[in-house]
Amino acid sequence: MQDLSLTLPRGQVLGLLGVNGAGKSTTLSMIAGALRPDRGSIQLNGADFPEQPELARQLIGWLPERAPLWAELTVSEHLDAHGRLRGLRGSALRQARTAIIERLQLQPLARRLAGVLSQGQRQRLGLACALLHRPALLVLDEPANALDPVQVAALRALIREEASSGTAVILSTHLLTEVTAVCDRVAILHEGSLRHDGPVHGDEHAALERTFFEIAMKSGARVA
Amino acid sequence: MTAFAVMRLELRRLFVRPLAWVLAALTLAELAFYFMLLLNNFLHLQVQLAARPSGPGLTDMVSVPLLSSFLTGGLLPFGLTELALFVVPLLSMSMLAGERSNGTLPLFFGAGVPPASIVLGKYLALLAWLVLWLILTLAMPLSLAHSTHPDWGKLASATLGMLLALAALAALGMACSAFASHPAIAASAALVITVAFWVVNLAAQKAGINNGVINWLAMPTHLEPLLRGLVSTSDVLWFVLLIALTLALATRRLSSDRERG
Repeated sequence: MQDLSLTLPRGQVLGLLGVNGAGKSTTLSMIAGALRPDRGSIQLNGADFPEQPELARQLIGWLPERAPLWAELTVSEHLDAHGRLRGLRGSALRQARTAIIERLQLQPLARRLAGVLSQGQRQRLGLACALLHRPALLVLDEPANALDPVQVAALRALIREEASSGTAVILSTHLLTEVTAVCDRVAILHEGSLRHDGPVHGDEHAALERTFFEIAMKSGARVA
Repeated sequence: MTAFAVMRLELRRLFVRPLAWVLAALTLAELAFYFMLLLNNFLHLQVQLAARPSGPGLTDMVSVPLLSSFLTGGLLPFGLTELALFVVPLLSMSMLAGERSNGTLPLFFGAGVPPASIVLGKYLALLAWLVLWLILTLAMPLSLAHSTHPDWGKLASATLGMLLALAALAALGMACSAFASHPAIAASAALVITVAFWVVNLAAQKAGINNGVINWLAMPTHLEPLLRGLVSTSDVLWFVLLIALTLALATRRLSSDRERG
């Protein structure tokens, strides 16, 4: 990654667009604290958080691509484990778990092993783990992967709900419709650098599509 | 605190996986059979042993050989130490290599858990399983304590030796798991390195060399005195050094994972 500078205020939803290999997941991994940048800084509430991992623990919720899970643990145990890793204990953990299970309608799956969940269910569990501790910044890597249309609509509503409660959201996607449906702003990454950063309005789909293809084609990317 | 959260998660995963239960059941069954064999042998030799003014007792002939057959010339090839050479690599292989191959390792980094806490938490979970294993093994000779006179000092020293040996094997296993991309590779590497630490001085001993660096490197050089009731600071330090070094290597490897992705 190079020449990437973004500032995200509270309550804004930023869509990260780019072709495969553009650097979206790498960027999100760095923002989530899973990957340490060799240069530059990532600041959260004014503090350089790669140097202060406890900030990431409290303030960031991350759903990685394909929602990796521990197959031998149940849905409920996953939420407990993520809560403890994020510093939740006792009644605070129990309350957070009950609330997120209810919110994402995971009650029928609560005792099911993660290893037997469908991809859509895994994605919902991953989202629940990311939201459990009420993060100030939500980082979602391809969150709509494997979700059916009803679940996609519910996911969009949830993202907007989070944003309206003051959470900053970054989501990466391949889908332009996803960006125009939920994002306030779009950043287009290509070959590891930021090529476009601007606001999104609901009726801008055609213009955004034009910008995206211009960037991708100019750099010689193959479009099927 | 995050190390304890990692430890709790790892313990839960260890206890719901069949591997830990199967290994515990098989090894404890073998150790129980071995214990009965050692006890039977001890009872048969009672008359001869009673005639000696300072003959070996139950601790020398049953309890300590149960902990290590190889170092005490036991009746069967597998005491607890010898089983640990195979069991620990099997239990430690998934600790970090499994997380890496499943793609779950970044979840810890993303939750702000420092590499040292990940390694320490997982190590403590493995150690907890091994301590439980040791306690269940020791329960066999201890069940006779009410009707015999165990040599408590020697038993305490042997237990300390076993504890240090298990802790060192677990740390070696963790380091191999940290460096490997797949659990099977981690288990194979841990087994080879563990056996190397076990037999590194055998050739030197055959050649009549009983001191020097090669003997210092071998684990039996430091475990044997403890099993025989001799607690020496240098032996204890050897184990502590090995544990600290291997855990530091594992932590360094995880830190570079976070830097390189």
